[in-house]
Amino acid sequence: MNRGLNRFAIFVACATFFLIIAGALVTSNDAGLATPDWPLSNGQVFPKMVGNLFWEHGHRMVATTVGMLTIVLTIYILSKEKRSWVRKLGIFALLAVIAQGLLGGLTVKLMLPLAVSTAHATLAQLFFCTTVSLAVFTSRSWIEARPLEEEKATLPLRYICTAALVTIFLQLIIGATLRHSATWDQHLPTELILAHIGGALAVTIALGSASLAVLRRHKDEVFLTRPALFALVLLIVQLSLGIAAYVTRLASPSDPQPLNPMISITVAHVACGALVFVSTIVLTLRTYRVLPARPALRESFLQDYGIGQDVHVKS
Amino acid sequence: MNRQTKVWLVLSIALSLLVLGSACGGGAPTNKESADAGASGAAQAYSGATGTISGVISYNGTPPAPKKIDTTADAVCGQKNPNLMTDDTIVKDGKLANTFVYIKEGSVEGGKKIGEYAWTTPTTEVQLDQNGCHYAPHVLGVMVNQKLKITNSDATQHNIHPTPKLNTEWNQTQANGAPPIEKSFTRAEQLIPVKCNQHPWMKAYIGVMKHPFFKVSNDTGAYEISGVPPGTYTVVAWREGGANGEEKTMQVTVPASGSAKADFAFGAATTSTKPSLQMMPAIEFPMLHKR
Repeated sequence: MNRGLNRFAIFVACATFFLIIAGALVTSNDAGLATPDWPLSNGQVFPKMVGNLFWEHGHRMVATTVGMLTIVLTIYILSKEKRSWVRKLGIFALLAVIAQGLLGGLTVKLMLPLAVSTAHATLAQLFFCTTVSLAVFTSRSWIEARPLEEEKATLPLRYICTAALVTIFLQLIIGATLRHSATWDQHLPTELILAHIGGALAVTIALGSASLAVLRRHKDEVFLTRPALFALVLLIVQLSLGIAAYVTRLASPSDPQPLNPMISITVAHVACGALVFVSTIVLTLRTYRVLPARPALRESFLQDYGIGQDVHVKS
Repeated sequence: MNRQTKVWLVLSIALSLLVLGSACGGGAPTNKESADAGASGAAQAYSGATGTISGVISYNGTPPAPKKIDTTADAVCGQKNPNLMTDDTIVKDGKLANTFVYIKEGSVEGGKKIGEYAWTTPTTEVQLDQNGCHYAPHVLGVMVNQKLKITNSDATQHNIHPTPKLNTEWNQTQANGAPPIEKSFTRAEQLIPVKCNQHPWMKAYIGVMKHPFFKVSNDTGAYEISGVPPGTYTVVAWREGGANGEEKTMQVTVPASGSAKADFAFGAATTSTKPSLQMMPAIEFPMLHKR
């Protein structure tokens, strides 16, 4: 384990989270087209950041920084990391950040088409998920984790967590579509609002089940209970933020401009959604790390994933 | 990096560049967009007696109070226009300004439909100025292919972004001191919202017409459309409000060399018709409104 690599991966993940907040601020302030050109802003590298250009160009500056950090992280991983799948994930992170930058450019050049804007918002979450995963895979707790026994005749936790993860990801796509389907001065489409509310219900059931199952079955395993508790608390906060975002967004079209608290609450809702997603990823990855697919196939599971090679398996 | 990874890397970059290249291609006017300009060329010009349509736009009840705009995001706006307020409902003595009144359809007496004649596009340009981080005028009309001259009288940069449904959308920054931007619209459209993406409170509306029979009500709510051929027409009064604006319609008969009156009222205790062309096709929340 390389402690420096792990710390740098954590740093890049934190920077990515900050980038998601910066991107959400662009959308909430309706600043996506504050400059019609890309990659320059009004033909300049450093334009005068007045009005909404502050948010749009600020987002570009943070994104450039994260792009640079990702290049360094990938080089760091390729030079220090022995596990080929982690190296591949590092390369994927680099490709994802390049694609994300290009999608950001496309949103500006095509004047925010819904499909491209939604893809940009969704890839942002996937990229965040990748940087967090790299931080997880390079951590001491991951490398030194020991396999656990799963209760027999129960649905394996890894599948419950995967189901929750997929549900959250679909909900993020619906949320991104909803958010980019209308600017602050327009009413949001009813169909998408209902889909997002339905998605929230599905996420509550899926993630609630996964977290409670972890807490019930492995209450003494901090390796699993910590992300489960974290996800559960974030889910409650996220639901509250969702209701608040709905109420403030409802009043927004009659405002003369995007105002607080609509901006702060919608941005917090996006940020918290990203945290729910990554905490569920951490939980899911950890269940894959220490829990077998099926109790009877524990040995083959370790061999299949090749993660048991550096792990002392309990007899 | 093994060979397979390298192949994927090259393919991904090539695909990304291809997509980006297609995005930078710009938007040439389509055949559909040039249809309005072409159609008027073959049509016959009207020559005969004309009359006028005039009236007053009233506002019943208490109008919504103007809201203060927060200009702290750009100090120049605050310095030049420290008391900037919303101007979506300007009412003076019960009369409503900034209402766009136009002939929607109808037939010239003993002749064709009004849209089937060729109407000369004025060579004069219509000005839209950005002054004190505010569009002046707030509502304006132009004919298809008539020049729209956009000026910036502020010491800060603006960003002009019309969001039409039928015409080509464009988004252009205009720095302080930059020369005027000249644009035109190739298709009739009522009404095109215009916004500044740098100062999100800045809004204007442009009506693009195939004929010259339109006016915007002044500060006293009055308007007069002159040069109208005698006939029976559907006259529409449109004002900003809600997602798609608010419209009133009226059947008006213009006598030869005479005048017709068409007064409209908005506000409380009046019923509105839905806009004929949706400006922003948003859907209302079912919890609060009916669709």
